[in-house]
Amino acid sequence: MPAAVLTYGLTKRYGRRTGIESLDLEVRPGEVFGFIGPNGAGKTTTIRLLLDLLHPTSGKAQVLGHDTRTHSVLIRHKTGYLPGEFGLDPRVTARRLVTHFARLRGLTDLKYAFTLAQRLELDLDLPCGRQSRGNRQKVGLLLALFHRPELAVLDEPTTGLDPLMQETFLQIVREAQQEGRTVFLSSHILSEVERVCERVAIVKQGRLVAVETMQSLRERRRRRVMVTFAEPIDPTPFAMLPTVSDVRYEGSTLWLRVGDGIDAVVKLAAQHTVNELVVEQPSLDEVFMTYYPAQA
Amino acid sequence: MTSSAGKRDREPRLLKRRPAWLVLATEQFGRRVRSTAVWGIALGALGALYVALYPSMSGLLEQYLQQASENMQQFFGGQQGPLTIERWLEIEFIGSIIPIALPFLAMNIGARAVAGAEERKTLDLLLSNPVPRRDVVLAALVNMAGTLATVLVCTWVLTIIAAPAAGVALPPGRLAWGLLALWPFCLFFGALALLCSTLFRRSFLALAVPGVVLVAMYVVAQLAQASRVVEPLRVLSLFYHLGRPLEGEFPWLTTLGLLVAVAAMTAAAVAGFARRDIQT
Repeated sequence: MPAAVLTYGLTKRYGRRTGIESLDLEVRPGEVFGFIGPNGAGKTTTIRLLLDLLHPTSGKAQVLGHDTRTHSVLIRHKTGYLPGEFGLDPRVTARRLVTHFARLRGLTDLKYAFTLAQRLELDLDLPCGRQSRGNRQKVGLLLALFHRPELAVLDEPTTGLDPLMQETFLQIVREAQQEGRTVFLSSHILSEVERVCERVAIVKQGRLVAVETMQSLRERRRRRVMVTFAEPIDPTPFAMLPTVSDVRYEGSTLWLRVGDGIDAVVKLAAQHTVNELVVEQPSLDEVFMTYYPAQA
Repeated sequence: MTSSAGKRDREPRLLKRRPAWLVLATEQFGRRVRSTAVWGIALGALGALYVALYPSMSGLLEQYLQQASENMQQFFGGQQGPLTIERWLEIEFIGSIIPIALPFLAMNIGARAVAGAEERKTLDLLLSNPVPRRDVVLAALVNMAGTLATVLVCTWVLTIIAAPAAGVALPPGRLAWGLLALWPFCLFFGALALLCSTLFRRSFLALAVPGVVLVAMYVVAQLAQASRVVEPLRVLSLFYHLGRPLEGEFPWLTTLGLLVAVAAMTAAAVAGFARRDIQT
């Protein structure tokens, strides 16, 4: 089975400005793949190259085994795409849009579209111009997913959705994966990527920085520990422990960061009288920022 | 991952697809029905008004032209003999108002098809479907052709209905030929707008370029009738080549030339659009 997405040295330049530079990427069939990076990192450029909306300056890309330059219509037949920014004709209803897109795809069965609309709590008969921003985003999601694509390419899919609806969306993504479909999810919100993705690619200033499994990304997380002692202590033994860093001691309170050596920290602290012990899980954003030391 | 059999069960039913350009053109035509009707009724009402005015205006205009200078007579189409209803409509309606106004409808469709859709950010969504870029251009042309034909038919119907009510004998066939000659004329400017739409990425420019060409051609054609200095330039104006279809001189050669030009501009638009990036 061919890779869902495969790129070799994919490069796009806009004059002197670089959109994406020498991107080598492989997305396996059936996985939910996160494509993360800050705004302007090249996520949208990459996606638009995959769908042949942009032409590469150099390099090649394949989607579902087809070359993006020579077989873009076939690729778009098998793919659902939610653009990061899109407009909708304000006079047209979502129902008419779905029906129109279904005709373009040669579909007659719209049962799944109506089920999706119901789950997204979307009024299909309201003109798009009268829909709220969140509801217009739901229309975009509906149009990207209603035909059960082999590959769903979603650019910032939860923009404008409330937390409950974000949860519904993530559930839909999980179901798509269970059906064997691939989801390529571009985002700068790590929490949503963390909840559904198996692997992530991290891009920075048009370059691929890393491709990691979510597990290895999580392992990079260093917990924050705060211990308040009953009386002053010597913090030096804590600083000597492996995987411990950022040790700070003030009054009778000790702050530090620790990787997988929490047991040693607890045992060392237990040699004193402890008034309070707080262990905090850092967000994935903090892990993410380790790839951006200059900006951190 | 589920089994392939399981996946097949869930796959939506696929029909043999209709060509994308046909689906797109039908949808676009449907979305424009109201505006098309407004154009058809407005131009038809204007045609009916000119037919109704003819009995009272013909005598007055004949008298005026007999006393007018040769240049002014040329400006009114080189009037010789009585002012017939065909000549009246030729001068006031089919030779001036429609060919100045109706191309803007076609130009608007052409400008909105690509550059306008990019500006409204609807093109990404449309091209998320299995639609070749070529079909976006073809659909706009087909929609344009259908819309123009509908407006011209509405104009013909309303003008013809008014003729017996005003006591005017207007041959329906003559009027049909007269309006038919305008169809490729308007389509030419629409195709030019479509070409500009794929090249310039700005709907304003896609509308402005053919608009300026149209107005310049009209001015040249009108001035050429009244000024010997401008007269040699009249061959550059499509208004000159339109001739007098309502009076039995259907411009076959011009029509053929216009249709060839429309085909060439559409081909150029398809090639230009295929080669370029879609803006966000």
